[in-house]
Amino acid sequence: MSAINNNCEYISKRLIKITFDGKTYEAYEGDTIASALLRNNIRLVGRSFKYHRPRGIYTCGIEEPNALVQIISEHNEPNTRATIKRVYDGMEITSQNRWPSLRYDFGAINNILSPIFSAGFYYKTFMGPKGFWKNLYEPLIRRSAGLGKPPKNFRSKSTHQYHNTDVVIIGAGLSGLAAAKKFINTKYKVLFIEQDSYLGGVLKNSNKVKTINGLTPQEWISETEELILNSKNITILKNTLVTTYNFTNHLIALEDKFAGKKIDLNKSELTLHKIRTSNTIIANGHIERFISFRNNDLPGVMLASSFEKYIHRYGVVPEKEPVIFTNNSSSLSLLKKLISLGCKPKAYVDSRKKDNIETEIKKILKDKEIPFFSDAEIEGCDGNKKVETITIRQGKSFNKLKSSMLCVSGGYNPDIHLFTQSKGLVKWDKNILSFKPDTPFQKTITLGSTSGNYNFKKLCDEINEKLSIFKTKKVSLDINLNVPNKFSIKELWETKKKNNSNWSKSFIDLHNDVTTKDLKQAITEGFDRIEHLKRYTTNSMGTDQGKISSINSLAIVSKMLKKEISEVGTTTYRPPYAPLSFAAIAGRSTYEFYDPERKTSIHSWHLKNNAVFEDVGQWKRPWYFKASENETMHQAVQRESKMLRENAGILDGSTLGKIEIKGRDALEFMNLMYTNAFSKMKPMTSRYAMMLGEDGMIKDDGIICKISDQHFIATTTSSGAPKVLADMEEYLQTEWPHLQVYLNSITEQFSTFNISGPKTREIMMKVFPDIDFSNDAFPFMTFKNFDYKETKIRIMRASFTGELGYEIYIPPKFGLELWEEIFSCGKEFNLIPYGTETMHLLRAEKGYIVIGQETDGTVTPIDLNYNWMIGKNKKDFIGKRSLSRPDTSREDRKQLVGLSPINKKDIIEEGQHIVELNELPKKISNPIKYLGHVSSGYHSPNLNHSIGLAMIRGGKNLLGQKFFVTATGKTKNIPVEIVNPVFIDPENKRLTS
Amino acid sequence: MILIKCPYCGERDQSEFSNGGEAHVIRPKNPESLSDKDWGEYVFYRNNPKGIFYERWVHSHGCKKWFNAVRNTSTDQILRVYKVNEKRPDLSDFKNTLKSPSGEPLVGSGNFAVKK
Ligand SMILES: [Zn+2]
Repeated sequence: MSAINNNCEYISKRLIKITFDGKTYEAYEGDTIASALLRNNIRLVGRSFKYHRPRGIYTCGIEEPNALVQIISEHNEPNTRATIKRVYDGMEITSQNRWPSLRYDFGAINNILSPIFSAGFYYKTFMGPKGFWKNLYEPLIRRSAGLGKPPKNFRSKSTHQYHNTDVVIIGAGLSGLAAAKKFINTKYKVLFIEQDSYLGGVLKNSNKVKTINGLTPQEWISETEELILNSKNITILKNTLVTTYNFTNHLIALEDKFAGKKIDLNKSELTLHKIRTSNTIIANGHIERFISFRNNDLPGVMLASSFEKYIHRYGVVPEKEPVIFTNNSSSLSLLKKLISLGCKPKAYVDSRKKDNIETEIKKILKDKEIPFFSDAEIEGCDGNKKVETITIRQGKSFNKLKSSMLCVSGGYNPDIHLFTQSKGLVKWDKNILSFKPDTPFQKTITLGSTSGNYNFKKLCDEINEKLSIFKTKKVSLDINLNVPNKFSIKELWETKKKNNSNWSKSFIDLHNDVTTKDLKQAITEGFDRIEHLKRYTTNSMGTDQGKISSINSLAIVSKMLKKEISEVGTTTYRPPYAPLSFAAIAGRSTYEFYDPERKTSIHSWHLKNNAVFEDVGQWKRPWYFKASENETMHQAVQRESKMLRENAGILDGSTLGKIEIKGRDALEFMNLMYTNAFSKMKPMTSRYAMMLGEDGMIKDDGIICKISDQHFIATTTSSGAPKVLADMEEYLQTEWPHLQVYLNSITEQFSTFNISGPKTREIMMKVFPDIDFSNDAFPFMTFKNFDYKETKIRIMRASFTGELGYEIYIPPKFGLELWEEIFSCGKEFNLIPYGTETMHLLRAEKGYIVIGQETDGTVTPIDLNYNWMIGKNKKDFIGKRSLSRPDTSREDRKQLVGLSPINKKDIIEEGQHIVELNELPKKISNPIKYLGHVSSGYHSPNLNHSIGLAMIRGGKNLLGQKFFVTATGKTKNIPVEIVNPVFIDPENKRLTS
Repeated sequence: MILIKCPYCGERDQSEFSNGGEAHVIRPKNPESLSDKDWGEYVFYRNNPKGIFYERWVHSHGCKKWFNAVRNTSTDQILRVYKVNEKRPDLSDFKNTLKSPSGEPLVGSGNFAVKK
């Protein structure tokens, strides 16, 4: 009834301490969590996903469906496979999905309620009424179903590493080692990847192989490893799992740098290897599968080869007297190992007919007087949170045995996950009753049991033949075995149930709690396609991807459908092969490295002056400036807006995109790219311009400065700059390669300040006493270059507020100095800094649009009444033809208008709908006629009431009419009048003053 | 993640490139002379075949050059790359190319990982 230790060279005898659910246990250095728990006779390690059934350790590797734990000492890392994760001194572990404790779990009532949790229950049960999903069902399901808790916030130090190589060998078992041996001291660059911290695979996990070339397996592994290490062309990566096999032989592998060690927070804990290889050799072996029987999930049921691996690899015999249940010849090695350790299995149950069972097995069982049941099966097992009694069926008779462990072998599946990820085709093999690789799609070679070759004697020939495409020497393997070389198996997927109780279940997917009954039910309901059935039942959709059970489910389904298994097909094997931490994927791209922040040269000044920032693309722009600690955003924006129209304000516009367009054909190019006509424009003048898509919709806007016919500077919106430059480049390269034009992004070459307000001219005259700012010398929409101190500046007369305004361009190196100079000069004129929110308010008062606010990719310049911007006499420009499409010339398109509340106290909110009803009905049964939406809504401090810009159907013809705007949380709508969108200074007197 | 061979820089990772849709869709010389239907075809209609496809790519995080590629959309193999001013390769050049990883039909998708 208890575990014993076995001598094992992979485990150090240094004792360490770990805690599991608060209790301290002793373990050996080198143990996994699972081997440590088994050593301490802990069988119950978790509760299942749906029914909260008690679960134990089922396997000894990556395929584990049950033993998922949470590592408290590693930022709460959840869903860690206890069968993989190595322990270290002080490791803190808890079980998952139980409340209040593992032994007394409240959620286990789900098991009693199981009839309502059958296949498709999410789809059927949680259908309505409306709102129940969000408020009741989802929170309930989230609390009761599921696995671990999310990890704590931490800073990952994971790194990414890139490789370019000739050959990758996946798996360092017998086949992988033999293959690697061929590449020793050759011209090929080889990456040799092993998931475990030791090489050897089956050689260290079992005693199936007695000798290789006259050496013990361990001697042969050491010798081979030594040779590989001395060969400069081969790199070994241990503790590394290949998770993904992409197109063009691109592999992703995850290396655990701290396997068996406590994480050092200053070092990279995981390395994600991104590998580009010419050839891939997959030799990652096979995975044992289970058999479905009544309560095949009880703690104490374990795969036979895993039981064997615990003895060899971790030096722990989980139980001295287990029952062995098999349908194939491979379990002989476990039997022999147990006998050699002085243990005696309680019984040996083989589903094969006595005549088909190997003589050696029968002899041992007879000699050691072990109860032997041939042509028999396990009907089921029973017990309280562990296996206590096991029922064997032989013909019509039943035998009940007492044992705490049951070792099961349902045969072996070649591990085809990576091969199918690479898009290779698999084929059903009747001899091994499994799928094996057939036609590769990429340069992929499978070796050994991965390729479906379970014959040790044929391995050497297979390797030499398949690797003959490489210029390497032949290897020789003279293998002596402890087990029969010929693999024999009898088809058995599920045993017949005798007992039927609500608690008794026969599982097909342990991870997701899917029973064989669920499969039957789904088929009855018409889900007879394997991909549909998988989603309906959630079979093999867990994080283990049904590694020990998915082939079983295909076989059971094919029997029910009376089809060949190859006709039923497999579901798609998807990367990753096993779950990997998001920290590994993110690598160093976290926090401030995730997305860079762009700051202007004035940023430090903004910080000092209490700017609140807004993100515009990657830019940090001042949103508004707080005049005092208690000033709200609304107060700040109202103050800034009023002060600017009374005195003057300055905005840091450095983020605006700036593109330089130069070359012989620059004029022709600009005429094609923008709606406006630039031919007659005088040098050193500027113009507000629009760029359309070929569909006629507005893409971007900005001011175009014409220096000459061969030289333009275009400004773009802050976030649109990269896209505008890319679009220009695309047309130049692909449609008009004959045009000689060169483009350059100069956004970061200049700091840009927009200064505007009635007192601007006086401030400018004080800052630049040598420049004539009079209307005659410096009219609206012109620009000039000047020497300023040791640099050059460009000043343009332009405005986005509707007030007299100038834009100053200066190299960023001198930006802050000039900005401070302007402030000291502007002090006597009450110059204020303002942010983007005030800019938006002021431009809305003036009826200027903002790209992405008034426009949304469905708006043409005509919809905005910007017909004056369209160069109608130009033969062509991007989008011109589309402006006369039937759709764009419709009269009832949404068009730009202004909104003014009839009751001046009402607030027009951005995003609200414009309707004909003064009040919304309490219960809405018919759709309400929708006329348009409010695209911008502000309280105007200069008009002292709320204003809005809106896009309304046929808006141009609705001037002076009364409609209603909906309001948040109210059924009563706000009466508004449709007005001209220019609220302030429609005659442009301020602008041109 | 596939490898793409930029005709100017050589083989680079897919993440350095952006796809530009169907190639050889030429902007009409005189858009005004086109009927609404013909103009609509140019602006809105593109082919989306399963199999051999002529498409545009730009080495956006590299030399920023546009080029054309012939890609098998069902296998993601890039069969040819050529500069924009080079002649479009003939479809018959690619008739011996693998139809799809698993020989699935010309239309539709699905799981055909098992060899019959
Ligand atoms: Zn390039």
